[in-house]
Amino acid sequence: MSKTLFEKIWDSHLVKEENGRSLLYVDRHLVHEVTSPQAFDGLRMNKRKVRRADLTFATMDHNVPTNDRSLPIVDQTSSIQIQTLEKNCKEFGIPLFDIHSPNQGIVHVIGPELGITLPGSTIVCGDSHTSTHGAFGALAFGIGTSDVEHVLATQCIWMQKSKTFEIKIDGKRKNPHAVTAKDIILSIIKKIGTAGANGTVIEYRGETISELTMEQRMTICNMSIEAGARAGLIAPDEKTFQYLRGRRYAPQNYDEYVEYWKENLKTDSNAKFDKSFTLVADNILPQVSWGTNPAMTVDVTGNVPFPEEYANGNVEEEKAAVKALQYMDLKPGIPVTDIYIDRVFIGSCTNSRLEDLIEASKVVKGNKVSSKVRAMVVPGSQLVKKNAEELGLDRIFKDAGFEWRESGCSMCLGMNPDILAAGERCASTSNRNFEGRQGAGGRTHLVSPVMAAAAAIWGHFVDVRELDLN
Amino acid sequence: MKGSVIKYQKDNIDTDVILPGPYLKIHDYNELAKHAMEGLDKDFHKKVKPGDFIVAGKNFGCGSSREHAPIALSYSGIKAVLAISFARIFYRNAVDGAFLLPIEIDENAYSDISEGDLLEIDTKKNEIQNITKNKIYKIKPFPELIGKIIEAGGLFNYKP
Repeated sequence: MSKTLFEKIWDSHLVKEENGRSLLYVDRHLVHEVTSPQAFDGLRMNKRKVRRADLTFATMDHNVPTNDRSLPIVDQTSSIQIQTLEKNCKEFGIPLFDIHSPNQGIVHVIGPELGITLPGSTIVCGDSHTSTHGAFGALAFGIGTSDVEHVLATQCIWMQKSKTFEIKIDGKRKNPHAVTAKDIILSIIKKIGTAGANGTVIEYRGETISELTMEQRMTICNMSIEAGARAGLIAPDEKTFQYLRGRRYAPQNYDEYVEYWKENLKTDSNAKFDKSFTLVADNILPQVSWGTNPAMTVDVTGNVPFPEEYANGNVEEEKAAVKALQYMDLKPGIPVTDIYIDRVFIGSCTNSRLEDLIEASKVVKGNKVSSKVRAMVVPGSQLVKKNAEELGLDRIFKDAGFEWRESGCSMCLGMNPDILAAGERCASTSNRNFEGRQGAGGRTHLVSPVMAAAAAIWGHFVDVRELDLN
Repeated sequence: MKGSVIKYQKDNIDTDVILPGPYLKIHDYNELAKHAMEGLDKDFHKKVKPGDFIVAGKNFGCGSSREHAPIALSYSGIKAVLAISFARIFYRNAVDGAFLLPIEIDENAYSDISEGDLLEIDTKKNEIQNITKNKIYKIKPFPELIGKIIEAGGLFNYKP
């Protein structure tokens, strides 16, 4: 029978299935400080062990400060959460990349970087952006704390099989340095909506996807959750195998694995998806979000929409747009390029990898951050930071007036010292522009790293297609 | 199960407004409850009574995987959220710890139910009785696995 990639990975991990209730084996479990403490408490309370500590990997990313790591952590509750993870990992024998480790970083950056993420594997993590790992052809789910505990105890998870959703991206972007993977995924979410992929596993396919680098594919899969998907997948190819070769946790007999992956990890030509959507990449432009969910996005050449124009007859959507504009303090009809910003954040599990920083640095080089803007670059991991510094990127950013910080989730989610003040407006390379996401009353515009870098220099959004990015 | 309604006429109520990021560092569930819905409704903590239901639009609970979101609602007294649809991680988290019932209603029920209405939910018959308005609405049955987890009283009591 013909199968999709999702069905193949699913079937090969089924431990048990009964009336649509499926018990799935988990190959890799990633753990961080925020969604794990109660899970470990539960294990202790029930006198359970971690079933496969060797398949479990932990790091601290969500609430670690991104300033000088030799200083103590000021916030007491953060400090306790970080110490709790250290204590739990020690007690249960789980490898931990702690705040002083050269491998510390955002969990979805270090997984692939260390070769923990492998094609055809199942991965879970108590974080919704676990979908990122799908870029390697891994079936990767974000889960809550109860499921974290269940996986720690059993290395398995109960699931209902998802529907399959094919998203095909065809065509060629005219300027791939200016029109990035971020603009592709924002364009998709704009079209299908924040619940457009609800309950499905997306497989991204088509010539545009094949052309993307691994880091760009991660940006796409990362934001699958913003369209409501359970996971996002891209079939592995030579780029995938090349990326993972020689990484710390990649298998020893790597070539045998590659043979198996090549043979088994693609959707059969006559397999059927439950749902399909096609995007033509030829005319995609740089995107800027104007509202309070990631579907509220327009082209950089466009205007902030009028609610009725955005809603297109849908009363609820119109009300949502009115509220969003109020929260964002934006007037409908103004050109996107007339939106002035106070802060710039280049970072997060969506856009904090080496390539993101290289691309952003091209805009920054030889320029100065606008006097009205505070801008920061937060590399996704210590390894990204080190590699970037070897290329001299830190100097380019610092010379321009950017802060060059230590790795972590930082200003993506407002639970560490990097937050927006109420009313501040930020060009951010992160994934969510929800109300209060980056700090109570903060206003987020989601953009690509090059768009964020350009906004830092000019103080407002600019069409990066007009810049020399080669 | 009987309770009165707190209604939010809104789609895409996300986990960042249900329980804002800064509070994810709190370990005590009763403390978390004090900040439930803070990002959307500062007065929620004052108006919620034990046994209340939330009624909302599409894609309730979208965003983060934080189980803190259903926990905060549950510990503030909410027994069920009635929405046109749910984001899947929230949906699962709500039943895993037996925190609250995530109930899918149709557009008609959503527009018909008002703030303060007294409802009685019957998950055996898959219907809701609006006692205030003397009406009956159908609810979407739980998927097999979710139904079994609810029946068991949470993931850790579930025996296949």
